[in-house]
Amino acid sequence: MDFVQNFPAVSILMCLFAGIISSGMKKRSARYISMGLIVAVTVLSLCTLLYILKTGQAFVYVMGKFPAPWGNEIRAGVLEAFMAFFFCVIMFLSLEGGRKKLADEVEEGKTFLYYVLSDLLLSSLLALVYTNDLFTAYVFVEINTIAACGLIMIRQNGRTIKASARYMIMSLLGSGLFLMGLCMLYDLTGHLLMSNIKEQAALIYASGEYRIPLLIVIALMSVGLAIKSALFPFHAWLPDAYGYSTVSSAAILSSLVSKGYIFLLIKIIYRVIGFDIFNSSKIINVLFIFGLMGMIFGSLSAIRENDVRRMISFSSVAQIGYIYMGIGMGTQAGIGASVFHILSHAATKSLLFIAAIGLTDVSGGSRKFIELTGAAYRNKWAGAAFTVGSLSMVGVPMFSGFISKLLFAQAAVQNNVKMLPALIVLGISTVLNAIYFMKTVIRIYTPVDDGKYDSIRFKDMKSYTVILICFILLNVILGVSSQPVVDLIDQGLAMFS
Amino acid sequence: MILLVILIPIAAGALISLVPFKKRVYMELFLETLVIINSLLVGYLLLHRSSDIFTLVNFTGNLSISFKVDGMSMVFAGLVSALWPMATLYAFEYMTKEEHEKIFFTFYTMTYGVTLGISLAANLLTMYFFYELLTLITVPLVMHTLTREAILASRKYLYYSLGGAAFAFIGLIFIIIYGSTTDFVLGGVLDLDKIGDRTNILLLIYVIAFMGFGVKAAVCPFNSWLPDAGVAPTPVTALLHAVAVVKSGAFAAIRLTYYSFGTDFLRGTWAQDVLMIIVMFTIVYGCSRAVKETHIKRRLAYSTISNLSYILFGVTIMTPLGMVGALTHLVFHAFMKISSFFCAGAIMHQTGKHYVHELDGMGYKMPCVFGVFTVSALALMGVPGLAGFVSKWNLASAAVESGSRTACAGIGCLLISALLTAIYMLTIVIRAFFPAKDYDVSSLEGIRDPNWKMLIPLLIFTGNIILFGLWSGPIVKFFSGVASGTY
Amino acid sequence: MYYVLSIFFPILAGIYLLVRKEMKDRKNLLITVAAALAITAVFVVFTFFFADPRMFTLFNLTDRLPVLFKVDEVSIVFSVMAVLVFLCAGVFSFAYMKHEETDESYIREKRYYGFYLIVFGVVIALCFAGNLITFYLFFEMLTLSSVPLVLHNGSREAVMAGLKYLFYSLSGAYMSLFGLYFIERYGNTLTFSEGGVISVQAAASHGGILLLTAMLMLVGFGVKAGMFPMHAWLPTAHPVAPAPASAILSAVIVKVGVLAVIRVVYYIFGVSFLKGTWVQTVWMTLTLLTVFMGSMLAYREPVLKKRLAYSTVSQLSYILFGFSVMNAGSVTGGLLHVLCHGFIKAALFLCAGAVIYMTGKTRVEELRGIGKEMPLLIWCYTIASLGLIGIPPTGGFISKWYLAEGALSSGIMGFNWIGPVILLVSALLTAGYLLPVTIYGFFPGADYDYGNLKKKEPSRLMTIPVLVLTVLSVLMGLFPEGIIDYLSHIVIKIM
Repeated sequence: MDFVQNFPAVSILMCLFAGIISSGMKKRSARYISMGLIVAVTVLSLCTLLYILKTGQAFVYVMGKFPAPWGNEIRAGVLEAFMAFFFCVIMFLSLEGGRKKLADEVEEGKTFLYYVLSDLLLSSLLALVYTNDLFTAYVFVEINTIAACGLIMIRQNGRTIKASARYMIMSLLGSGLFLMGLCMLYDLTGHLLMSNIKEQAALIYASGEYRIPLLIVIALMSVGLAIKSALFPFHAWLPDAYGYSTVSSAAILSSLVSKGYIFLLIKIIYRVIGFDIFNSSKIINVLFIFGLMGMIFGSLSAIRENDVRRMISFSSVAQIGYIYMGIGMGTQAGIGASVFHILSHAATKSLLFIAAIGLTDVSGGSRKFIELTGAAYRNKWAGAAFTVGSLSMVGVPMFSGFISKLLFAQAAVQNNVKMLPALIVLGISTVLNAIYFMKTVIRIYTPVDDGKYDSIRFKDMKSYTVILICFILLNVILGVSSQPVVDLIDQGLAMFS
Repeated sequence: MILLVILIPIAAGALISLVPFKKRVYMELFLETLVIINSLLVGYLLLHRSSDIFTLVNFTGNLSISFKVDGMSMVFAGLVSALWPMATLYAFEYMTKEEHEKIFFTFYTMTYGVTLGISLAANLLTMYFFYELLTLITVPLVMHTLTREAILASRKYLYYSLGGAAFAFIGLIFIIIYGSTTDFVLGGVLDLDKIGDRTNILLLIYVIAFMGFGVKAAVCPFNSWLPDAGVAPTPVTALLHAVAVVKSGAFAAIRLTYYSFGTDFLRGTWAQDVLMIIVMFTIVYGCSRAVKETHIKRRLAYSTISNLSYILFGVTIMTPLGMVGALTHLVFHAFMKISSFFCAGAIMHQTGKHYVHELDGMGYKMPCVFGVFTVSALALMGVPGLAGFVSKWNLASAAVESGSRTACAGIGCLLISALLTAIYMLTIVIRAFFPAKDYDVSSLEGIRDPNWKMLIPLLIFTGNIILFGLWSGPIVKFFSGVASGTY
Repeated sequence: MYYVLSIFFPILAGIYLLVRKEMKDRKNLLITVAAALAITAVFVVFTFFFADPRMFTLFNLTDRLPVLFKVDEVSIVFSVMAVLVFLCAGVFSFAYMKHEETDESYIREKRYYGFYLIVFGVVIALCFAGNLITFYLFFEMLTLSSVPLVLHNGSREAVMAGLKYLFYSLSGAYMSLFGLYFIERYGNTLTFSEGGVISVQAAASHGGILLLTAMLMLVGFGVKAGMFPMHAWLPTAHPVAPAPASAILSAVIVKVGVLAVIRVVYYIFGVSFLKGTWVQTVWMTLTLLTVFMGSMLAYREPVLKKRLAYSTVSQLSYILFGFSVMNAGSVTGGLLHVLCHGFIKAALFLCAGAVIYMTGKTRVEELRGIGKEMPLLIWCYTIASLGLIGIPPTGGFISKWYLAEGALSSGIMGFNWIGPVILLVSALLTAGYLLPVTIYGFFPGADYDYGNLKKKEPSRLMTIPVLVLTVLSVLMGLFPEGIIDYLSHIVIKIM
């Protein structure tokens, strides 16, 4: 066994321990530990990725000494390692970008808790990404939920508490459904390890027995994860949770947490249920239709919204709709597009959140549109970043959003029945995206000369600006040289089965 | 080299806002020189073109940003590069009365590069890219005055254009999947084996994509952004909303029809009829609205709507002759409309009047401007001997030649529209030259023709209109060459 | 070369007048105009005799669209009429325009003469046009350059009338342009050639659409000739123009519509293609309807100039009826009536103008005793009227005779008797609307106050043109043989 194969497990454990250690530390050191940790995990994931690319196949890492089918396994393929890498990058950027705001919004004594929570969150995300064991997945889903709740709630005002309570309830409902699905699956197959379940599931399916229980399992799991990732119409918790929490939380939640669940779902589709079995169930159509509806209604709500942060949150609903539409397409290409969109949306949405905060800060902290007039002149980089994010969301070429749109559309064409609805909704949703994002862009570039708010200079926000530039670059890189990424995704998906 | 002509204007535009010019004159000189140099470069590029494709970036697989000069590019790039220096000259004078000049010229010059990008694009994706870019880069120009009206107009413009592009995008996808390549090849790139029995879906997609690009070309029912966008300063309305932007839409439609889907695939299908009927309706609709409108620029904008659909009508005929007609009108209309818009701008600049009914008797005070306006009005009507007649003739004879009944009905629409054009253009002329008997001449005291910066472009355009009208042989021959693929 | 001179000399002269800043001396202006008119007339005559290459290509509009001129008999007939009327009306306007003028630099009068000359050149170009595209080109220019004549006095009424004229004419032009596209495609050539240019195969394969375009072209060009249903502009536009301009409009410009119809029917589509088709039937119906309706409306109209305009509507359709019947007699009659009506209507309008100039009276019932005031003028009026009614020995009698005879011998079911009957009824109506002026003028009734009677005979500049035109119309009636010979020569060629 190569040394590198230890890395995934090590990174998960590192995160857990870092969380525990930093809970005893002072505020400053908690942050340093956290940041150092993320960097370390990034490096480790990168190594893993390179290693897998070199060997050309996924590896399974057995935790402890118990062999399958009892043990606890970690599986690392191209896609897993890449996701872990990417999540870390976004996490780092989001935390760093929202640092200043965090200091303003959270009580002095509690900031270290924030980093504890984020360490935990990262560990759970990594676990979700890497695990080859459904039960482990469930455990970390719960850890994830709790950590996320903490991240929302840490900015203490009435709204966030209400939001986190709502989030908690919805999330637990989702995990409950997931757990029920898990139990039934265990009943049916007698296994908890993904690879084993898949073999059994295929046998059961082939024998023609337990069709309905299997269907129910699929339904429970998909719906459970859909609730957790805020698929329309289960998105009611989302705008408040994203809209009122501190900005790093919003960025992390929208770009990572919900994506972690989606990634888990994709994993389940490929590695637990089996792609073909999943495809032949009707659930896929439900996901498709919910996805389409999410694309439209999410955007419509965003258009009506008068608060920048909530608008961006609603846009998340629409984007998650895109992803589910891709999954619902039932083709390899569709899922590939979804995975790409997970990446591009993560990069774009956290950019938007971070940039929005820069804009609201120079507008007296108000998030109302009317106050944002001319904000882009007061904070030039935030304005530019917001514009880039918006353009990417609208799907202008050279930015990541365009590529995901392209991939979605190409995937859609391969499916005879779903092609037209998918394409048309794609078109309409682009128009809607354009409406609310461009409205904002025009608003922030409309000059005012009443001098009500001071502008902010580059000197005062170096790190913030650097983060924004990184985000912009990330976006552009995904947009311009997407071919390697797409190849990676294809390779990773191929490794799944 | 190709990249250079696109980048020079963009860089020049960026420089304007960065470099602190001591005097306005320096900026003017700097800009005008660069624009002229760029136009010369374009001219050189078109005359000494290589048939190679120049690839800038590779996106995924066979998708790339690449450039090439073919016949169509020659037409459009030539047109744009011929008009831009004059329009810039005109804009110097016009903008003396407006604010935020620098921002204006920044984007105005950048647009030049982007438009060239559209014209020189070698494949659908590149064109699509520059097409989106064009939308974004022209929004600040529409927004220029920053009045509430302007902001609303620019928002509308943006939504319409991006929305249109979103649907055109669907067409792009289908070409990627069902075409053998996304490069522009005269006659289309569809791979018939791949299509199999999905002809109807492809036709539907074609219609959707055509309408998507048609948004920029202001096809009914997606036309209402164009008159609203008239709140922009006149050089913008003239050059962009009569030439660069809207013609990009028409250009894209030609590319889509003749170079991507291919006319063999489309001719005689329901898609052709549907589009033709929409276009015909737009022709008449635009004119009728123009007749109703009393604001000069909005009237001209509606006229643009109708005339753009002339071009699209030529496109939907889907024969080489139809393409010749479309190209002829593409080029000739540019001259006619820019000339009439510049006149409107000159009137507004010199007198501050915006409405048709305020123009009584001005013909004697501003003889040059109104003389030019009369010529362009007559040309737009299609009076023989002026450019408009030739393009209409080409369109109509293409329609006759195609033998389709719908196309013949289209000729009728063209003629109805010509009549309506006469109504909305000549009422202005008549007002200006034949004021009511009891008109108080003294109120026009002090109104004169604008200075040379405005007049020179006007006179050159007029000269061109007449020249094209009387001696269109070579240029039409060139267009036929383009349509038949010799260029 | 003579083509270019005779066409572009007046046009350029007109443009010169328009562009020139101001004319201090009215005499200079008049001399210039007179000289231009005279020189042009000479050029035209030269063209008849010396234009050596009988087909002259000026330049090519596009590859397949040459602008070319040629002279044939029809051109000569029309251009002679045009030149004579233009000369007379021109001379008349020297006197007439004096009272329209208010400002010192004669800008408006200069403008009037400028456009007058341009219209002259354009009309000659139309007469000489050798193919359809040339014809169409100048047809549009005619509309555009004659609108200013209607607009001249600048009143709201005039502007509205001018616009109405413009839009009717343009829509007509565009209808014919529609046909032009098809002819270019299905015809052998666009050049006017006797017997038509439609190729036999095209006639067979695309007969339906060609007939439709023929109808459209007839209606389209018929607009200029005031044919129902597009006649409404004529009674509005003609009266508001200055009297000499009305004379031009009513005598010459509407004849261009007739010329267009002749060219289209006899030189493009060809008699053999159109005869006996539904197009002919519809056309005949339209013309007869117009003849009757025009007369009725004229009869009811109190304002003299408007009455004359309605009369033009009706008379023009006499001519068109002649051409629609498409046999030798009727076509001869039509051509004759072109000449007659040209001279007569010009004379009548000039008379009306002179009356307005001298007395300011416009309505027929105000003209009691006018014959006593200006006997010479009203005599001319009366003679001209008789000509229009068709009383021998005036020219009108001859032309109407041929028209009626042609219709009778045409053998077209129904029309061979309805036509002549309507012509006759209309002639009666003509008498009814024209002669009251004479009657009231010379027999004002018992209560007329002879005490205030003043001789108001207008100046010689006015009377002479009227006299000339009247004499011409009478001469045509007295010595018709030469003309008829000449015309039947044409008829043989084109039938």
